[in-house]
Amino acid sequence: MKDQEKNSPAKAVGSFFKAVGGFFGEFGTAVSKGDAAVKLSLLWMGAGYAKRKQYVKAVIMTILEIAVVLFTVKFAMQYVPKFGSLGTVQMEKVFNMETMKTEFNDYDNSFTILLFSLFSFVVWFAFIVVWIRNVVNAYELQKLEEAGKHIKTFKEDLHSYKEEKFHVTLLTLPVLGIVIFTLIPILLLILVAFTNYDQNHMPPTNLFSWVGFQNFLSLFGGGGLTVTFGYAFVRVLGWTLVWALFSTFTTYIGGILLSLLLNSKKTRMPRLWRTLFIVTIAVPQFVSLLLVRNFFSNGGIVNTICSNIGLTGFLRSIGLVSTSYIPFLSAPGWAHVMIILINIWIGVPYQMLIATGVLMNLPEDQLESARVDGANPFQIFRKITMPYLLFVTGPALVTDFVKNINNFNVIYLLTEGVYTTTNQAMANSQAKEVDLLVTWLFRLTQDYYNYKMASAIGIIVFIICAVFTLIAFNRMTSGDKEGTYQ
Amino acid sequence: MKLTKRAGACALAVIMAASSSMCVSASDETIKLTLWGAEEDQSLLQELVGKFEETYSDQKFDIQIGVESESTAKDTVLTDVEAAADVYSFASDQLTDLVKAGALANLEEVGQALQVAGRSLDDVKSENVEASIEAASIDGSLYAFPRAGDNGYFLYYDSSILTEEDVATWDSLLAAAEENGKKVGMTLASGWYNASFFYGAGFTTSLNEDGTTAVDWNGTSEKGYTGVQVVQAMLNIAGNPAFMAIADGDISNQLATGELCACVSGTWDGITAQKTYGDGYAATKLPSYTIGDEQVQQASVAGYKFVGVNGYSQNAGWAAVLADFITNEEAQQEFFAQRESGPTNKNIIESDEVKANIAIAALAEQSEFSTIQMVGGKYWDPAQTLGELIAQGGLKADDEAGIQEALDSFVEGVTAPVE
Repeated sequence: MKDQEKNSPAKAVGSFFKAVGGFFGEFGTAVSKGDAAVKLSLLWMGAGYAKRKQYVKAVIMTILEIAVVLFTVKFAMQYVPKFGSLGTVQMEKVFNMETMKTEFNDYDNSFTILLFSLFSFVVWFAFIVVWIRNVVNAYELQKLEEAGKHIKTFKEDLHSYKEEKFHVTLLTLPVLGIVIFTLIPILLLILVAFTNYDQNHMPPTNLFSWVGFQNFLSLFGGGGLTVTFGYAFVRVLGWTLVWALFSTFTTYIGGILLSLLLNSKKTRMPRLWRTLFIVTIAVPQFVSLLLVRNFFSNGGIVNTICSNIGLTGFLRSIGLVSTSYIPFLSAPGWAHVMIILINIWIGVPYQMLIATGVLMNLPEDQLESARVDGANPFQIFRKITMPYLLFVTGPALVTDFVKNINNFNVIYLLTEGVYTTTNQAMANSQAKEVDLLVTWLFRLTQDYYNYKMASAIGIIVFIICAVFTLIAFNRMTSGDKEGTYQ
Repeated sequence: MKLTKRAGACALAVIMAASSSMCVSASDETIKLTLWGAEEDQSLLQELVGKFEETYSDQKFDIQIGVESESTAKDTVLTDVEAAADVYSFASDQLTDLVKAGALANLEEVGQALQVAGRSLDDVKSENVEASIEAASIDGSLYAFPRAGDNGYFLYYDSSILTEEDVATWDSLLAAAEENGKKVGMTLASGWYNASFFYGAGFTTSLNEDGTTAVDWNGTSEKGYTGVQVVQAMLNIAGNPAFMAIADGDISNQLATGELCACVSGTWDGITAQKTYGDGYAATKLPSYTIGDEQVQQASVAGYKFVGVNGYSQNAGWAAVLADFITNEEAQQEFFAQRESGPTNKNIIESDEVKANIAIAALAEQSEFSTIQMVGGKYWDPAQTLGELIAQGGLKADDEAGIQEALDSFVEGVTAPVE
């Protein structure tokens, strides 16, 4: 606990570099002090093991080395040399009437070059780490031999992966999965943000190339592209943050209040109510959202009812609406409020479940003593229930906030095809007032193939989420709040 | 034409024999082709592919049929052009993007292969209506085979309420609707629909060589109308209590409520319109609208369904033959008979059965005033917003400076460089 409390970002960074330094330090020692076999392992990775009679390991390392060399020659070398230019050979083709086939030249595909170069870099990086570890291991074996200690056989080594090194066995697959399915795509996205991959440069027919920070410049109004892009970006970012804040806290507070209500001893049939609320979770979100969208659309059932009971006419007469319908989801302001309200309906049951779970574990002794001291229900809520809830669900709250920044479903399903912006400057940048950064990004890639700007926006979203999470988590885990409840 | 000697001789032989004899590829190789078509056309495509394999029984084929709606073909194809189908159908508004991405083979080259079928590209061009060929061409090169010409819009109306005189002009149409307590529906918030007012007044859109869109709506048209006048006319229509601005794609729902006595839509809403209007079901060309004291015929956008050959198809030759086979006169006849799809083939259009189809006849009537919409990707959002501004009354008919400003920023957005 003490160590954690002192964990500051600066220290974390420091210890990271220390670890890296240590890693290379060990390598240096191994190379300088190692014997011939250790030095030979620099070239032939199996050397150290072969010398100490760990033949199976020697063979495995040799095969690995050959595989990586083959990978480099046969695969990586097709792409990596072109990484600097992202390809120069434009696609050309000729139709051959005799064979009825089209003959293509050996054209470059910028995207494949980018992707496979990146993949090669990752493989090489992993290989270098293994290579360094390998030399260090060889040196350690040498030391063991010099000290006359037992050197493990292959069987014993294998066995250790079931015992003291079990964590390695367990984590291999997940780590591999993260690298392939998360790390590489993220790195790819970052790289694309520095290229001109867009509708005019679509592989395989066209090539794209590096453009440096140009996309970020235009994102922040540096010109080059549409003048309105920066204008739209600021507004979309603003609504994204407002949305994340409101959607997180409304559902959070709503969930807590609802669960308090259901937990109250005066509530009859709490199970029935709870089940009813959970039904909204049981229905797939996109079904209920699309239904709600249709209910509230300009010609939807709610509008029909409103105009039949005269509400529309009343709102028109006081000047709140200028159209013959209530623009629930089709005018700025109206749509913003409606989206947050609908989100409460969708999101509260989840928060209710979480809050119910936490409330059931509320330390009864504290409540008891508070009651004995004469605290009223509101005081108990403010001084005990709420702090306890905040403490337990705090991290989840941060995650929710970040999730809401990227809450694609609710926004997209509720507004797509219903909301049309009347702000021409927004329209000229393919944005709408109700867009989150992530839905705007989606439209840019899906409808306009503007991958470069989408990637640039993606990086900005990532930075916002990362900064927010770091700050919030640091605040939350620091201090001695935990002590309060122990 | 870059015909090799052998192919030239072969073409000659084909013409002389006037048969579909095989003289080009006598190879034993199985030709693998993938064909994408709409879900509802699957069984018909299956049938046509069967006939195709029968016709060319000397050649072994492995033809796979996949489901891909014409309206979303572009998105799927451009995700990975190299892996997309060899032959696919798509809606005509996707042509420019597909050509730009190299996803369509230039038929002026690949079309030589049609000699296998004893045909030539010129046959295709002469058999189909000119507008459809024009819409399928870029810079004089044909990029796709026209298959259907029913992707345009016209006016559906209830003839038990409205007379033929009523539907001739917007003024009389709206007046008659109001009298009967009904409404007239049209989508304004879509660059596909609202352009009809501008095209009618002689305004144009076109594509520049760099892929940007050229548009003149903020100026004066060749017919002497200004963009402001057109917007004022649209505002007058949109402001009429009997007019209902409908969101894109929502027409059939609104039709079903029975509130509309007329609406601007296309053949895809034919069945709903038929059900709603019953015996009164009728369709005709779009009405004219009023600028000053003149009547201007509302234009429309001619939309087609095309079948194209993937620019990255290995077997482009056979792919072209197949694409032609599922779009030729016989195939279009089948499409009309089984799917009520409006043909582009001149002979079929002239047939009595087609003329008897109310919706397709209305489309043909409107086709005289239809335009091929040549626009780039940057056109759609600003055009949608302009339409929404008009629909919601965000612009005022007497505020000419405001309208001009809106048109100027519309033009600015549409003509922005493609990125």
